[in-house]
Amino acid sequence: MSTFLTYTILGLVLGSVYSIAASGLVLTYNTSGIFNFAHGAQAMFGTFLYWHVTERWGWPVWLALIVVVGLAGPAMGAALHAVIMRGLRGTADVTKIIVTVAVLLGTVYLAQWIWNPDEAHTVGMFFGAGAKITVGGVVVRYHEIVCLAAAVAIAAGLRVLFTRSRTGVVMRGSVDDPDLLRRNGHDPERAAMLSWALGSTLAVLAGVLIVPISGGGLDANALTLLVIDAFAAAMFGRLRSIPRTFAGAMVLGLAANYVLAYLPSAGTFTGNLRVSLPMIILFTVLVVLPQDRLRGAAVRTRERYRVPAVRAAAVWAAALVAAVYLYSLLLPESGVTTFALGMTFAIIALSLTVLTGYAGELNLAPLAFGAVATVVAFHFGVEGTGLAARMNIQGVLLAVVAAALVGGLVALPALRLRGLYLALATMAFGEFLSNMVLRDTTEHHLFGTTFTLFPDGSLVVPPLKVGPLDLRDGTTFLMTATVLFALIAVGLAALRNGGYGRRLAAMKDSPAASAMLGQNLVRLKLSVFMISAAIAGLGGVLMSSATGTVAQENFSFTGSLALLMLVVVAGIGYLSGALVGGLMAGVGSAVLVSTFGDLALANEGMATIYTALGHLVLVGTALVGMGVGRNPSGFVHDIIDGYRAMRDAKPVLYGAGALGAVLYVLALTDVIGTWTFALIALCAAMLLPVVGRSYLAERRTRPVPLELAGVDEPYTDELRARLDRELGLTAALEKGGARVTA
Amino acid sequence: MAEEAAPLLELEGVRAGYGAIEVLHGVDLALRPGSLLALLGPNGGGKSTAMRVCAGLHPLAGGELRYAGRKVNGVSAQDAARLGVCSIPEGRGIFPNLTVRENLWAATGTGARLADLEEKAYARFPVLGERRHQLAGSMSGGEQQMLALSRALGTDPAVLLLDELSMGLAPMIVTKMYETVAELVQGGLSVLVAEQFARAVLPIADTAALMLNGRVVAAGPPAEIEDRLSSDYLGG
Amino acid sequence: MSLLETKAITVRFGGNTAVDDVGLTVDEGRITGLIGPNGAGKTTMFNTITGLQKPASGQVLLDGDDITKLSPAKRARRGMARTFQRLELFLSLSVRDNVRVAGDILRSGTRKRFDLDEETDKVLERTGLTDIAGRDVSDIPIGRARVVEVARALMTSPRVLLLDEPASGQTERETEAFAGMLTGLAAEGLAVCLVEHDLPLVMRLCATIHVLDYGALIASGTPREIKESPEVIAAYIGTEEASHG
Repeated sequence: MSTFLTYTILGLVLGSVYSIAASGLVLTYNTSGIFNFAHGAQAMFGTFLYWHVTERWGWPVWLALIVVVGLAGPAMGAALHAVIMRGLRGTADVTKIIVTVAVLLGTVYLAQWIWNPDEAHTVGMFFGAGAKITVGGVVVRYHEIVCLAAAVAIAAGLRVLFTRSRTGVVMRGSVDDPDLLRRNGHDPERAAMLSWALGSTLAVLAGVLIVPISGGGLDANALTLLVIDAFAAAMFGRLRSIPRTFAGAMVLGLAANYVLAYLPSAGTFTGNLRVSLPMIILFTVLVVLPQDRLRGAAVRTRERYRVPAVRAAAVWAAALVAAVYLYSLLLPESGVTTFALGMTFAIIALSLTVLTGYAGELNLAPLAFGAVATVVAFHFGVEGTGLAARMNIQGVLLAVVAAALVGGLVALPALRLRGLYLALATMAFGEFLSNMVLRDTTEHHLFGTTFTLFPDGSLVVPPLKVGPLDLRDGTTFLMTATVLFALIAVGLAALRNGGYGRRLAAMKDSPAASAMLGQNLVRLKLSVFMISAAIAGLGGVLMSSATGTVAQENFSFTGSLALLMLVVVAGIGYLSGALVGGLMAGVGSAVLVSTFGDLALANEGMATIYTALGHLVLVGTALVGMGVGRNPSGFVHDIIDGYRAMRDAKPVLYGAGALGAVLYVLALTDVIGTWTFALIALCAAMLLPVVGRSYLAERRTRPVPLELAGVDEPYTDELRARLDRELGLTAALEKGGARVTA
Repeated sequence: MAEEAAPLLELEGVRAGYGAIEVLHGVDLALRPGSLLALLGPNGGGKSTAMRVCAGLHPLAGGELRYAGRKVNGVSAQDAARLGVCSIPEGRGIFPNLTVRENLWAATGTGARLADLEEKAYARFPVLGERRHQLAGSMSGGEQQMLALSRALGTDPAVLLLDELSMGLAPMIVTKMYETVAELVQGGLSVLVAEQFARAVLPIADTAALMLNGRVVAAGPPAEIEDRLSSDYLGG
Repeated sequence: MSLLETKAITVRFGGNTAVDDVGLTVDEGRITGLIGPNGAGKTTMFNTITGLQKPASGQVLLDGDDITKLSPAKRARRGMARTFQRLELFLSLSVRDNVRVAGDILRSGTRKRFDLDEETDKVLERTGLTDIAGRDVSDIPIGRARVVEVARALMTSPRVLLLDEPASGQTERETEAFAGMLTGLAAEGLAVCLVEHDLPLVMRLCATIHVLDYGALIASGTPREIKESPEVIAAYIGTEEASHG
């Protein structure tokens, strides 16, 4: 009985903290329509601030609470709204999700910059861990009483706010009809800012409360994910109802603690189950949600992608293979290995191009499907031992099929629902996999065989060997990965140009019209999700094999998010966007950060500056991600447009080619270093369109190309109209049609 | 009728549209103090867009919007409301997920007192008083429109903009609504009504304007406009 | 028996009845009009017929079969096609691909074999879109965009074509060409149902007209009967009762 009571109280305490976090999330979602994936990161950042002022500066707890929860929390939320979120009204769901994901990553990077992750940061309980009372034989700490009291106070406070104050009534009204709110003399943006401030405060409070009851250790990644568990509670209330969210949070907290109390504690299973329970519940809630009504496209998105012809894609693919080979000759062995790793990330990135770029759906955990494939390949495809161990092709194929099947299973329940729910389902799956499978180091006995899913917490994945092709050699690996990337890319270009690709585009642009032409939307979404998961699986096996030894961290949720964000920043509708985004995720940041790290070690005087630069790279990419709402097509789009305009500037192109050849020979003969070559080549590639433009501007034999419009002539209305037209900014056109008839 | 006060609300040569599509091609309208101007015409003629322009919810691409003689192009809707322009949109001008009382509370954004609003609304429409704690979205269409109109009763605006008051309502209720509007006009309020049911509003209108394809094609005394209606609506 | 028939359709949104006990018929080989003032329930009726809206009660029959429970996609495969009042074009595809994708969809579920390129060209030719076939669909005037929606619907070789305000946003000349095309389609045996605010156009094209008001069917008949019906005049211009208020 006392066990039951103890765990019930612990469950209610955990539920209380979940409810505080989840109600903040529901609040911002309802007033601004943005599902804030960064909610957990805000909690994390606030908790680090709290640690900083209490532990490092030694402030008393009450002062720290006032400053951190009472001032910094709302300020953070209001700033987010003012700088980023208010600009997202009327953008596509995908853009909104990516921007909050970028905020999440940026906040985590920033926290790791400010508070060195290698040092321990612990947050103690209020009144200390020893302050407790005993009720009916059960020990209750003061901190736990504070959690319960805070949850009750917040529930009551929110109720009073929403029903007894005009501000709260106005906030509820802004959910229904922001325009009507304006007609009533209110500013809906003010209501939205208030809700962001309040939501952020609740997140920070939840963070400060939850860390001590889950061990006291403060880790940026872990805490961010811990608060994401509250998403499941929010789903109970269908992201709308705050009372139901509270009920969901309590169920979640109690279930987690009863699992601990009553399931056998041998092995890792129970502990893992407890950790992944919120995600299992989130997934279950998704399954039972009623289907969305099919509506017309609510938002006309601003993303515009040019579709390459298959022939052009094939030419570029061949050029890529050649360029990578030539470049690999310049690289040392370690460089080739890193490059190969980057190429495997680019293959995983292709899975996002087809899913998000072509079909408009989101997968927040592409690396999780890579992990599924890796586990399958490890168990069924490894021959030999030690250095002689090799992966066989059957293992890889089986792994790809497994990834596709698992992808189908994960996506199926969410396909009837809006894009946001598919994103949440993939997130839940990623977290579940990472906690249940990639930590499953116990032996299982099934059908007379004994096996361990993830022995020792890491897998040694040997290189692939198919007939005479042995990927043990670094250059062979790199070239195989590059050829695979090129083949898949050309295949996707063919897919996009065919009937299947057109159907995907149709579904993305208008699900209602697509269905009215006879398209079974669930079937089409399912097929494209499975294709995407299969590609992610293939890339994942190669990535694991390029890494050599993989563990849970290699497939982490933040890793998936970083990859997704970089691909969107580069241009998720483009195959080249996958290449650039994937390379940046696999090589770019790793190389840059380690380069700055090495520089910091080499030049002690400049160490702080170099270390700062290393962090700045990470935070900087996240900042670019936050700005993606302004340029949703990605930067590859701009570069391609730049080159497109240069087709008439042949002399410039030939000149650039010659310069490239000279540089390459210089690099090959060690006159200039590899890095110098890479940097000059990169700069030249970026500058080329600019040179081409000035060349064309001199000739001026044809009408001003779009890129030049307005550069050296005044803007006229006509020019503006042309720019809007050519840039595809005629979003309001269709809307206009409706208004005309309204 | 010749010597009249300056218009409280005026559109002059107003052009507006959605993206590249222009919907209003130079609209002229003038609402004189204490009068009711009926803006008539079939759907798709641009009435709703003109009403949104007047309320500060839609940007002008050309021409002038004037309140009491002052040019206010680009005024925000919340500022328009605070300047005394009360606008009730077509369909339901209410928050369906708020109670009746909360709807009135939200209407105090222009500075009115909740107690005054409640008193006037419940006096005029007793059914609202009975349902003050009911969710507005669960009431009948007529009751919802009463609630929307209550905003004009209690907030003491200078100008009232009414878009398609009759939409989806039974004739009896439409009659009752326009009785209320007529009383408000007698009390000195200036009202601009966009309405496709011409006969519902013509009897209480001081002036009528007929809008077709984004232009005001005729304006004048209601009787004159009425003669044109049948041919312009049904194609003779 | 009519090709398309609704029986006692009632649709409710919350406490409001948007469509109340409506029975309509749409016949092969002619154009049937569905008119009524704003908010009368015309688009709701279209959504119910095409499966985007579930009715509270009543049936939709296509060729005598009850299709009330079928998904929009299944109805489309039985020969139902529509256009949208708020245009629903595929903005990332060209005009030609907007039309062609309808054939792609049709072909994906069946073994039917036909030359899509040729079929697409025929439909483009027929609807007069050949000159802008290569343009971005976001780049064309609204009047022609409405024709693209019709062309896309025709690509599925429908038996019933439901058009939601196809003439709004069209110029007079475009409307003229459009009317000619509709007459031609009906003459070939297609059942066309037209929701339109341009009443002179409806009166000219339609063999039968149904009039909705407050969600209820208040009149059905030939254009002449409709034009002279006191209920219809009252519905459009307002009731006598209201005018005495």
